Amino acid sequence: MFFKDKNISDNDRYMKTEVTIIGFGNKYRSDDGIGIRVIEELKKLDSFKEVEVIDGGTSGTDLLFLAKECKKIIIIDAIDIGKDAGQVVCIKASDIEEFIKGDYKSLSLHDLNLCDVLKIIRELKIDTEILIIGVKPENIGFGESLTPEIEKKIPGIITRIKKEINL
Amino acid sequence: MADNINIEISPVSRVEGHGDLVINVKDKKIEELIFRIPESPRFFEAMLVGKKCDEPSHITSRICGICSVAHTCASIKATEKALNIKPSRQTINLRKLVYHHENIQSNVLHVYFLAAPDFFGAGSIIPLIKTHPEVVNIALRTKKMANDMVRIIGGRAVHPIRIVIGGFTKLPTEEEMLKMKKMLNACYTDLEKSLEVLKTINIPDFERETEYISISNKDEYAIYDGDIKSTDGWAINDQNYLDKIKEKIVKHSTSKHCWASRDSYMVGALARFNNNHEKLTENAREYASELGLEAPCYNPFMNNIAQFVEIVHSVDDSIRLIDRILADGLDEDKRMADIKEGAGRGVGVVEAPRGLLIHDYTYNNKGRIEKANLIIPTGMNYANIENDMKALVPAIIDKSEDEIKLACEMLVRAYDPCISCSTHFLNVKLINK
Repeated sequence: MFFKDKNISDNDRYMKTEVTIIGFGNKYRSDDGIGIRVIEELKKLDSFKEVEVIDGGTSGTDLLFLAKECKKIIIIDAIDIGKDAGQVVCIKASDIEEFIKGDYKSLSLHDLNLCDVLKIIRELKIDTEILIIGVKPENIGFGESLTPEIEKKIPGIITRIKKEINL
Repeated sequence: MADNINIEISPVSRVEGHGDLVINVKDKKIEELIFRIPESPRFFEAMLVGKKCDEPSHITSRICGICSVAHTCASIKATEKALNIKPSRQTINLRKLVYHHENIQSNVLHVYFLAAPDFFGAGSIIPLIKTHPEVVNIALRTKKMANDMVRIIGGRAVHPIRIVIGGFTKLPTEEEMLKMKKMLNACYTDLEKSLEVLKTINIPDFERETEYISISNKDEYAIYDGDIKSTDGWAINDQNYLDKIKEKIVKHSTSKHCWASRDSYMVGALARFNNNHEKLTENAREYASELGLEAPCYNPFMNNIAQFVEIVHSVDDSIRLIDRILADGLDEDKRMADIKEGAGRGVGVVEAPRGLLIHDYTYNNKGRIEKANLIIPTGMNYANIENDMKALVPAIIDKSEDEIKLACEMLVRAYDPCISCSTHFLNVKLINK
């Protein structure tokens, strides 16, 4: 029989913890899915059982509501930033202004792009600490898996997240 | 404006995805007008081949972040039809309930975030935070309400995971149902304020009669289920969509163009309104009347108003659905229908926020998808956008370049195209020859 796990949901505790980790992207567009793949890996880890971990898909405006409810947000996404494919860029709260000015293209937030959402958060004076972990993709064509160069960045990204939230 | 112009809008901003608009005018006559989609086509149809029946809805949900419930439901309906799975009335009502809230999520995003800046003379929603904070706050509150509703029922605010073939993996509790009703009742004040704001905006005065196609049924304002109906006087069972809906490949786009009775037709909120306005709640009909929306309406710019009216309808009808579900009592035994793998063909037709959405699957005797055909609403609207543009541009040819450019962009935006669904964004550059 199908669907044995009737409690299937990753958002039961949505908006109740202080730190939220959210991945954005389309997992059927190859490296655009890096944010989602990291989230899938985090969900397998016991050490993240008590941490809010969200598969944000490709809906950017939801970030606004998370920002209102959480003290700290860690965003993982494929972003056209950096020199080489596979480069991982961490944009801290102090660098967000510079990031917004750069108007870098987040590849997955098709409704409002990441910079627009960050501008709205700033204009609304929402007080939340944001860390963006961006990965420059190699391929965003249709495909169900990451390119090997991007796939091998996942452990390092998870280590970075653990360090950020003291796990 | 000179008699000869060459407009290339690349990309048109504030639409979902990426596309270009090219207009060449010589001696005040259009020589070339192309709405071009330059990105590669979606390969989801190919991706579905070989998949088992519990997989397609989760895969197609990822086609788009703002139509994910629609793709999920169209996919589920196609599979249920193919495999003769009979979901309970409770399941159908819960699907209709969650469906209303993706419609609200999407319509709020379009009316307030993407189209409203045009009506207030702003480049985006960001300046409106200072100039029209109340409008932005209403947008945020309403979007949040709809997000929370989708999350409570679907398990996620986007790409829902509890909505599956046969039913739901988990039911909302009675307490959650009552909480949702309270949330819905709380948003009427914002709807009334929005009404007053929308009364003050100027909708471009442009009309072009075309064919309007949507689903329709005798019981309600159809968004989840119904026959396919046209304002040209025909209606067909949704399983027979190929009898009327035709597709063709055009050179300038990676998305197919569609036609039915004529060379183009319109789908979306305005088409739904033109076909089914009598089924709107009385409250929604009053909002429509206050905003000058009357059927038949041939002004594509009024699609934004139809979207707002639908938000009102969805709030009203959600309260009715919650009352009905609670009166029947949430029943765990009705949560899932029996599922048997097998062979068969089924068509799932729903109204995505942007219009008619068709999923057509054929399962082979190994229980795997052998063939999949997806027809996306934005793809259906492309040819009609081009035809509207061919009527609009000559009517405004004496205006300034900037005004023509803005009017063209506004027209494309009025359709709320989700180009990433059918392919991917729209680009506009204007050059005088």
